[in-house]
Order: sequence, then C-alpha cells, then structure tokens
Amino acid sequence: MRKTAGISIALFATTLFVANLAFAAPESDLHIPFEHYKLQNGMRVVLSRDTAVPVIALYVIYDVGARSEEKGRTGFAHLFEHMMFEGSANLKKGDHFKYVQSNGGTLNGSTHPDYTDYFETMPSNKLGLALWLESDRMRSLAITPENLKNQQEAVKQEKRLSFDNQAYNTAIIDTWPALTYSNFQSAHSLIGSYEDLEAASVDDVSKFFRTYYAPNNAVLVIAGDFETADAKKMVEQYFGNIPAQPQPKRPDMTEPVRTEGKMMTVTDQHARVPAVVMGWPAPTRHSPEFYALGMLDAVLTAGQSSRVQLDLVKGKQSILQFEANPGWPFASLNDYKDPAEYAAFALYKPNFKPQQIVDQIQEEIDRIAKEGVDQAELERVKAVLRFQKVTNLQSSLERAKVLGLFELMDGKPEMVDQDFTNLFAVTSAQIQAVAKKYLTAARHDVLVILPAPPKPPAEAKEGGK
Amino acid sequence: MRVWTMLMLAALPIAAQTVDLTKPPVSKDPRPYKLPPVFETKLPNGLTVMLAEDSRFPLVTARLVFLAGNKRDPKEVPGLAASVAAMLMQGTSDRTYQQIAEDLDGLGGTLTTGTGADSLTVESSVLAENAGKMLALMADVSRNAVFPTNELTLHKQNRKQTLMVQHSQPAYLANEEYRRVLFGDTPYAHIGPTAESIDKIDQKALETFRDTYLVPNNAWLILVGKLPARDEILRTVTTQFGKWDQKKVPAYLAPKPPAPKRELVLIDRPGSVQADMRMGRLAATFNDPDYFPETVGGIIEGGGPNSRLFLDIREKRGFAYDVHTEVAPLADGGTFSAVTQVRNEVVADALQGILEHLDRMANQPVERQELTDAKSYANGVFLLGMEPQRGLADKLVQIKVMNLPKNYLETYTTKINSVEPDQIEAAAKKYMATGNDTIVVVGDAAAIEKPLEKFGTVRVVKQETGKQEAARPQ
Repeated sequence: MRKTAGISIALFATTLFVANLAFAAPESDLHIPFEHYKLQNGMRVVLSRDTAVPVIALYVIYDVGARSEEKGRTGFAHLFEHMMFEGSANLKKGDHFKYVQSNGGTLNGSTHPDYTDYFETMPSNKLGLALWLESDRMRSLAITPENLKNQQEAVKQEKRLSFDNQAYNTAIIDTWPALTYSNFQSAHSLIGSYEDLEAASVDDVSKFFRTYYAPNNAVLVIAGDFETADAKKMVEQYFGNIPAQPQPKRPDMTEPVRTEGKMMTVTDQHARVPAVVMGWPAPTRHSPEFYALGMLDAVLTAGQSSRVQLDLVKGKQSILQFEANPGWPFASLNDYKDPAEYAAFALYKPNFKPQQIVDQIQEEIDRIAKEGVDQAELERVKAVLRFQKVTNLQSSLERAKVLGLFELMDGKPEMVDQDFTNLFAVTSAQIQAVAKKYLTAARHDVLVILPAPPKPPAEAKEGGK
Repeated sequence: MRVWTMLMLAALPIAAQTVDLTKPPVSKDPRPYKLPPVFETKLPNGLTVMLAEDSRFPLVTARLVFLAGNKRDPKEVPGLAASVAAMLMQGTSDRTYQQIAEDLDGLGGTLTTGTGADSLTVESSVLAENAGKMLALMADVSRNAVFPTNELTLHKQNRKQTLMVQHSQPAYLANEEYRRVLFGDTPYAHIGPTAESIDKIDQKALETFRDTYLVPNNAWLILVGKLPARDEILRTVTTQFGKWDQKKVPAYLAPKPPAPKRELVLIDRPGSVQADMRMGRLAATFNDPDYFPETVGGIIEGGGPNSRLFLDIREKRGFAYDVHTEVAPLADGGTFSAVTQVRNEVVADALQGILEHLDRMANQPVERQELTDAKSYANGVFLLGMEPQRGLADKLVQIKVMNLPKNYLETYTTKINSVEPDQIEAAAKKYMATGNDTIVVVGDAAAIEKPLEKFGTVRVVKQETGKQEAARPQ
C-alpha cells in the first residue's frame, strides 16, 4: 500500500490538488453516512452529506476501462475519456472546462483497467451546474473528426510525457502486463500503441459511447454540502430521462492457472537506478483470503515500521524505495478487481544483484508464512490503517470516490466501513495461510529493469527494451 | 437484463420535463464559510503556539516549523538543511530508528520532516486520541536527534542514489537549472544537493546546523484538529517543548539576485522523445502587493484547463498534454514560470506560441470575463483547500514563514476580488514579459538544438549524472 511512484492516466496533469486515493479503513470512530438508490433508467445514485465546508464533489463512474478494449484498439478507453470533454449537445468544445473553472471548481477524469471516472468539485451552490454538465455529455456527446484528431494528439503527447520519456513507466505499463498476464484483456498496454491510437475512428467513439456510457452502466455520487430532497430532485431532472442501453457484457478475462513464474530483464535508457517488479496471482475480491492479503501487504509495506522498511531498507540496506499493492500498479484494495495480482516494485542499490532482491523480498514473505505475525505488530498495522482511512476521507471528493467504487463494484457503499471490519478480523493464521497458498516463490513473475549503458548520441533513439 | 432495462424506458419520469436541459441552471447564493478561529500564544522560551479547533474528524494535524530552510545551507554544502531534516528521524537519545518507527505506527499517524527554500518542518498527523503522545515524539526528534553514524552512512548512500533518480527526471533537471540561472550565486539558487556536497555532510555539520537554527524562538508549533481542552493541550505543549533553551539565531540578509537577461539553456538528455520546457522570470514575494495581480494573471494565462495556454497550446494546436503556469513566491524572492512538454518536432512553434502569450499578458489588459472567471477559480480553490485539516495547517505555516499579515486568510477573497486589469498588466510587464527571461529546455540536443537557436544563443549543458559536469562548449 505504500506509494512512491504509481501509474495513472488522466485527462490532464493537476498542479493544484494531489489526491491520494489509498484505501478504506476505520471502525466506529469514523462512519461515513450515505444513502443509495436507483433511477428508473438503471443509473445508481449515492448521496453522502456533510455540510462542514460549503463545497460539493460530483463523481460519475462508468463501468468500463482499459480491460474492455478490443484488439487493435489499445488505449481506446483513455482516448475516449478525453473525448468526454470535447463538447455535447448544449456545450461547445471547451465549455466544460470554462463552466467548472469560472464557477470556482476543479475537474478531471481518469481511466483505469476496470472503470473510468469523472469529477467536479465546486462551491456547494453550483451542484445544479455540475449535474447539468455531467448529464449533457451522458445524454448527447458530440463526436467530431476534428475533436478526435485533436485528442489523439493530446493522448500521444501524454504517452510521450508520462511513459516514453520517463524511467520505469514504459516497463511498468507495457512490459509488465504482457509478461505477467496471458489474456489480451489484461496483458495489453493501457495507454495503447501509437498505431492503435491513430487507428481509432469516429465510429469507434460513437459505438463505445452507446455501449458503455449509458446511465445503467454508471454510478453517480454527490458528497458534501447539499440538501437531500433538492439533490434527488435535480438528479431526476437531469438524468431521469436519459435512455438505458442493453447492459454491456464484460469480456472474458480468464487467466490460465499459473504453474511457474517467469523472469525477464529489460534495459531502460532513462533509468539510472535498477528496479525489480514482482507479482503473484491474488485471491478473489472481498474473499476472506483477500482481506488476509490486505493485512499481509500492510505488515510488509505500511507505515514506517513495516517489514520491508526495517529489514531491507534499513537492515540489509538493499532497497532504496518500494511500493506494493493488491492490484499494483493500477489499483489498490478499494478498486482491486479480478483477475489481478499482488505486486511490488522496488528501486534497489546497484551493489546488489536482481536475484538477491527477489530472494530477499520472497524471504520476508516466507518468514511470515512460517512464523506468522505477533499481536503487537498486528495492532500497530491496524492503527496505521485506521489513520489512513480517516485521513483519506477528509475531502468530499475522496469520500465520493470510495463510495462510488464500492457501489460500482459491489453494489455496497457500506463497504467503506465494512471493509475495515473485515480487515481487522484477520488473524495471524489467515495471513500465514494466504502467504503459503498465493505468495510462493514458485508463483512469482519477475521483471528486472536495468539502466541502459550510456550510448553515443547517434544511436540513442533506438533505446527502450 | 436486457428486457428489464427496455421496460424501464417506457416509464419516463415526468419531473424531467420541467427543467430546461439546454441551459445551466441559475445557482443560489453561495453559503458563507467561516474559518475556525486561531488561538495564538507564546511560551517563555519564545516558541509560538497556534491552535485551531476543527473537530469534524478524529484527527490532529501538527506542524513544527523552523526558519531553517535550504537558503541557510552553507555555500559549500547545498542540501545540508534537508539532510538535517531527514536525519532527525533516524534516532534520538531516547529512541533508535526502529523505536521511533514502531511508536509512530502504533499511534496511528505520520511524522515526516522536510525542507523548503525558507523553512524546515516537522509534520505530523495522528488519530486524535494520541495527539499528546505524538507531541512527545515530535519533541524528541526535534530536540534530541543523535545522528547515529550507521544511519548517516546509509542516508548519504541513499541520498546519492535518489539524486541519480531525480537526475533521470526531466522536470527535476529543468527546475534545478532554472533556479540556478535565475538566482545565480545566491542561496535560492539550489533546490537540492550535489554528489559532492553529500560527501561533505558529517555528524558535526548536522549538529551545528541543528543547534544554530532548530531553537524554540525560531519556531512555530501549529495544531489543527480535534484538540483536547485548551489548558490541557497547552500543558502538554509546555511539558514537551517548555524546557528547550532559546538561543540567538544569526540574522539573514537576502542577497540581491542577478539582473535579468535572456538565458537559453538546453540540457542535453539523449534519447528524449520530447522537450521539457520551463520559462519565466524572477517574480513577487508573498507579501509584495504584486502577488495578487500576479496570481490572478497566472490563472488567466495558465491556471487549469480554462486558461489561455491550455486552450491554445493543448486544445487548439495539440502540441502538449500539459501546459501551465506556476507562481512560486518565496520569503525574499519568487519565480514565475510557464511549463510544458512537447514533442521534438514542434519545439520552436510551441515555444514561440507561449512567449507570445506571455507578452500579450504584459501588453494588453485582460478581458473582464476572464478576470471574473479567474477570481472565482482562485476563491473556489481556496475554499476546497480548507476541507482537509492540512489545508488550514499549511496556510498557517505560510502566514508565519512568509511573514504575511495576521488576517491573510480572512482577507484572501477580498484581495483576489479587488485585482484590476491594469494591475495584472503591470505585474506581467515585470514578471512575464519576454526578452530578459530564462528558458530552460531538457531534451535531445541532436534533435532540438537547431530549432531553439532562433530564440537566442543556446548554452548546451550535459545531463547531470549526480556529478557536476562542465558545460560543453558549443
């Protein structure tokens, strides 16, 4: 759960607010109130009121992400996300930005393997405006060749900025999924290839919109300062008559059972410090084993006194920085969706060999499998998790995101509290069991990312893997 | 499933017919927001204590901030203040690193240290019931760090590696060089250490810095959140921080930065598929009257997706994913910059475009509507920032470190709203106009040096490798 780098693809880079969606935790000391219901067209609505600061967050999440992309259209879900800001029946290109910003709000959108989300945060008297903006594009997105062309360029530029020109990120977003997943849906690049991005047509955009951007495939969350009756009325007025569409099918994402792990080494021309990625296929979302894995991850990587920090960063002095998550690099406990992995990323010191780092991390897990975790350590980890929950849920937007994810994935916003209870019920024996069953040396895939030796400028452009 | 959704279509709600879907709704008046009152007092040893009660969440956010930022680094040891900050956490006379880490996690909180150009801060946030214990831990690391030899060796090793990582990042490289050019030989010129300066750090240097600057009369303790009763929290603060001796702190006189002139630096990063650009000038300090016009102008120019640069450079011309402005005021200086990353083929066009926009700000008044929109945005963002406790805590830090008026927060909106187009134009003439500006580009010199030449003499510098290297003569 520790974050140092992480990967995200969003509409634009934010410089004002950095949101850390980590994960749900505490018990009685922080209860997030909500109510949820469904419109007649199938759109799910979650309301969570808190009037302390006169702001609201409107969060709309669609049940489609990069893992629903078809062959030849890698990167399309994200390209489509960009198109959502290009105008609709009553909004010209640029109007969405203008309305939100000139009314004192912020906005963004982001694409994930299994969902795509959009938000506006505004002074609370602008809730109606935010609802109108979201409803107009859900009802009537304007899809033109000019807008598509322009956003193809923006996305290609985003790919250059966030991936091609950065250390590690291309290996993480392109090489790692291809190494560790067998099924195209999970194995392909989420940012896409230039070729596929170029090939996207206006027809593709229209079809994707019709198929996935229907009210019955969406969840709308309002969090913050509003009057419930007002909010319900406006939601009905703006979204109630957007027609439902046939419920889209999720593609087959089945992965073959992994019998042995793979190891691969790539060189990265931008990296100066070596890194390893390790991953293991992980248990089903919200199963008892899933929560045991959540606690195991926290023991390994949460807080300042985690096993990796004390034993490897300090003790063996082999690791420089690390992060890990169920669902890494795109997800964490909240938005983990099957099939997925538990994966870790570590920058390590050049006086170690990659195999040593892999062995050291595996030894930490094996030791937990063998010896378990004592009560004092478990209590410490729980305190860290409680703290993280309270901290993360301070803003309306973070509350809206967590509630929206649990509604979308589970139909249960109450998981915002229940998840924590489930995590806390995990015993040392369950942690041992999940380590033994899932996180074994035989099952891990490994990607080693080594700095490329310096090249004379003439051949520098070849680079990459 | 299909049948179900189709059936629902027949039952269109009547309410939906009653609102005009072609227009945005008229909004009600905004609900006013009142900031929590801030109580301020001073301990006899000179430590200023500020308390703001905010009981929405069972959390307490604390900042112990010292006027001991990177600008206080000895000239030959850039990065010392940051290393002091990092090493505070690595062991005290009472606790080893492991004990600090375990105590901290057990409380359910974070304790981190860091520096900016002007200040060194010990930051914490913790579950409210453990606020007292966290203050004890804060006091321990702030006062009793012993800088253990083994931890210092590891810190230096890791800092060098981290510097190598930073030097692989174009944004870091650009920012590092930008500050160096703008501030020349003065203390704001560096944002981090060099491999050589890391080598120079020893226990004695850390202790000297700590004992000189980390003293109560050079500090503020700020607590925001669900606090215990006033007298109880003040008792705890006195117990933890009261027996800390005050000491005279050496005066700081800000040296004058070099006179501005056009400087065009290209940091050669072979293999780059795009060019990272940062351009701009020295700008207002936080308490300069120009700060508000510069801020509002900065929003109009490049603050967010409704700004001129975003709409033109990205949305219209498709040159960039990210293009924005940064207004970065410091205590005795400040910078304004426009930042973007573009593909190699359009470097000259994009740069030309941005420079034209900057000059337009300096030469033409902004339009009324743009001005109104930018003000709403600034005020809205200010309000949104107040939701998490750290929003208020960090603003209080800012007030102290930047020496802002006491009523800065209460008057922020009024000051934003009073900005006029001529003030923006005047500020832009000083801080945005091109000609005497600094332009730093990070990219593949083989691909982009030529197109950059039309903007002036290009000074090509090798990408840092953790070692300072001489500029390559061109």
